[in-house]
Amino acid sequence: MQSQTRIRRWPWIAIGLSLAVAFTLSMVSPADSVQGDLVRIMYVHVPSAWLAYLAFFVTFIGSVAYLITRSLRWDRIAAASAEIGVYFTGLAIALGMTWAKPTWGVWWTWDARLTLTAIMFFVYLGYLALRRTTDDQVLRAGRASVLGVLGAIQIPLVHFSVIWWRTLHQPPSLVRPDGPAIQDPMMLAALIGGVVAFTIVYVSLMVKRIELIHLEDRKVDMESAVERPVAGEAVTAPELGASS
Amino acid sequence: MSQWAWVAFAYTIAYGSLVVFAVSIAVRIRTTRRSIGDTE
Repeated sequence: MQSQTRIRRWPWIAIGLSLAVAFTLSMVSPADSVQGDLVRIMYVHVPSAWLAYLAFFVTFIGSVAYLITRSLRWDRIAAASAEIGVYFTGLAIALGMTWAKPTWGVWWTWDARLTLTAIMFFVYLGYLALRRTTDDQVLRAGRASVLGVLGAIQIPLVHFSVIWWRTLHQPPSLVRPDGPAIQDPMMLAALIGGVVAFTIVYVSLMVKRIELIHLEDRKVDMESAVERPVAGEAVTAPELGASS
Repeated sequence: MSQWAWVAFAYTIAYGSLVVFAVSIAVRIRTTRRSIGDTE
């Protein structure tokens, strides 16, 4: 019993520890020669954006696997990842706006990267809304999987938008052909530490979110079992006390 | 606003919303478990 509780709690402990390490690294890293202390916003903005990509890619994998195997386990993985992905996309947009205001002078501009990220955010909000249109688990999984596959087209579009189009947004910081743009080892450690920490947070949230979807499906099954007539319309209640 | 004020604002959004998101999942798990009588 005690070991079960310990297993159920490890995701929360992992989230707390990884965030504490990421916060410490981002605070002890030096200020940037151009942006000053504002560069510290990058240590939460870039990991959030990376997590959005990862989460929607996992949704894509789960959706494809569901369409091939028809196993609801894959649909649960896709759904859990989409919800976490929507959260991290929203967070990346909010943090990007908070970084843009003091550096660009505006909260928002219709730049290719920003616009495509906003579209991706709304498409996956639509994915979550689509899942709420029915309680039928098989029907829901089929509909959502199609959108989960189609929606993934946006991931490379968003990532490479800063290379394919002339944009105000800076090019990728870490994943680029000529290596990371950051040279200072402490700044690089803060950025990579943030990416690793947020990935651990994602995995931990996934474990708990899948557990929640499983419980919710059990609840729907139990409720529909209670509402279902025992023997159909062939059985009718006897009329007690009726005279012949 | 000073640069540190912007950083504090961004970190409050990031870490604050993460805590709220994690707690919301924990609460939903607990209430769903109770509603189906799962005391595991």
